Amino acid sequence: MNDQLQPSASQLLMHDMGLTEAEIERRKRIVGIEPSDLDRIAKIRGFVTSHADEYVSSFFDHLYGLDDARPLLASRSLVDRARHLKQEHLLAMVNGDYGSNYAEQRLELGALYARAGLDTRLFLGAFHQMLLNIGHDVMTEFQRTPADGFECFMALQKIAFFDIGIIVDILVFERERVIRQQQDAIREISTPVLQIRERLLLLPVIGVIDTQRARFITESLLRAVRTNRAKVVVMDVTGVVTIDSKVANHVLQTVAAARLMGATMIVTGLSAEVAQSLVTLGIELSGLNTVGDLQGGLEEAEQLLGYRVLAPGTTPPQVAP
Amino acid sequence: MSVPILKLAGVLVASVQAALSDQDLMRLRDEFASQIGRYRSAGIVIDLTALDVLDSYATRMLQSIANAAKLRGANTMVVGIQPEVAFAMVQLGLSLEGVGTALDLEDGLAELGSLTQQRGHRVR
Repeated sequence: MNDQLQPSASQLLMHDMGLTEAEIERRKRIVGIEPSDLDRIAKIRGFVTSHADEYVSSFFDHLYGLDDARPLLASRSLVDRARHLKQEHLLAMVNGDYGSNYAEQRLELGALYARAGLDTRLFLGAFHQMLLNIGHDVMTEFQRTPADGFECFMALQKIAFFDIGIIVDILVFERERVIRQQQDAIREISTPVLQIRERLLLLPVIGVIDTQRARFITESLLRAVRTNRAKVVVMDVTGVVTIDSKVANHVLQTVAAARLMGATMIVTGLSAEVAQSLVTLGIELSGLNTVGDLQGGLEEAEQLLGYRVLAPGTTPPQVAP
Repeated sequence: MSVPILKLAGVLVASVQAALSDQDLMRLRDEFASQIGRYRSAGIVIDLTALDVLDSYATRMLQSIANAAKLRGANTMVVGIQPEVAFAMVQLGLSLEGVGTALDLEDGLAELGSLTQQRGHRVR
């Protein structure tokens, strides 16, 4: 069955969303599910199960009636799968067991909605329609004792709200996933660590440095120092528009950490404005090895490493060994 | 776990393999102090490649080992600090002030060699 692959994916998702046993219990408390609710749901289990088909159809019929939902109903296989999961959902809703298995099933359905591009509003509308139909039937069933019927329906409603909580969360989570991926991508491409000579790394920093990015820069630099066996690192901040005390502190931390790994850091490209504002702010950067521009920094680094750059055709001056 | 100190040419090398207790660190310091005199060592190297955590006490001990060694005429190199450890140390404000650092044992020994050469005698 193709179902066998699904659980691992949805379990992964559960983990990503932090949907632990404790969190599920907390969510149940939020909607106020109590043991007595389970008894009430048991009373309506029989006829909801027998009418499940009908209710599921009402969910999808409602969607079919909406223009907004048309694109996602175009795929036959997707609708069939959603219908199947929805039916499972409804049966589980009245089954009385709302543990992590239940949450996982909801997640699977929610992920399917997210993939299909089902909007939160559309989902809520259709779900409400389905509950409305169930409510009508419950009231007919409990004609003689409407108060009981109402209680039973409200118990089911709690479960429904518990489900809505999960499904809305997953819809939002999936939508934000794209943003998170883009952020990661931007971070990756914006902080390259380049080896330009044996044991010499160049770290050009461009743009705005916030705490998170500063941390990322430091971490990737330290890793690069290890993998490239770097001895000198030139950090060029020409492209950094403003440096405040926080960023300056990060730079100092990076320099100290690199030193612990045996690498010397040279900072280049502090612009006149930045330098002046740092001095005005009274930020102590005397522990920093700074050189005016990138060229000067590279020359200094080469000197530290014992390289000498000569124009072709010139004979190297003799140095005592 | 005690740390063996190896004599390598004119240098004493201690490779730390597991997290050290306070007693271990004190023993290491005492061992170094006495062996530097016995072997007339020009330098000591402490290799931390295998460590994935270094607390403030250990850092202070490393510093005092280096200071004691300096008084006995030997330079100290701490080598092999892992990126994660370096980052954590800096965030805790631990910087091993005044202690030489190098990427690994090889670099540390090379660095010590050039240091002692400057002073006029060679590490053989």
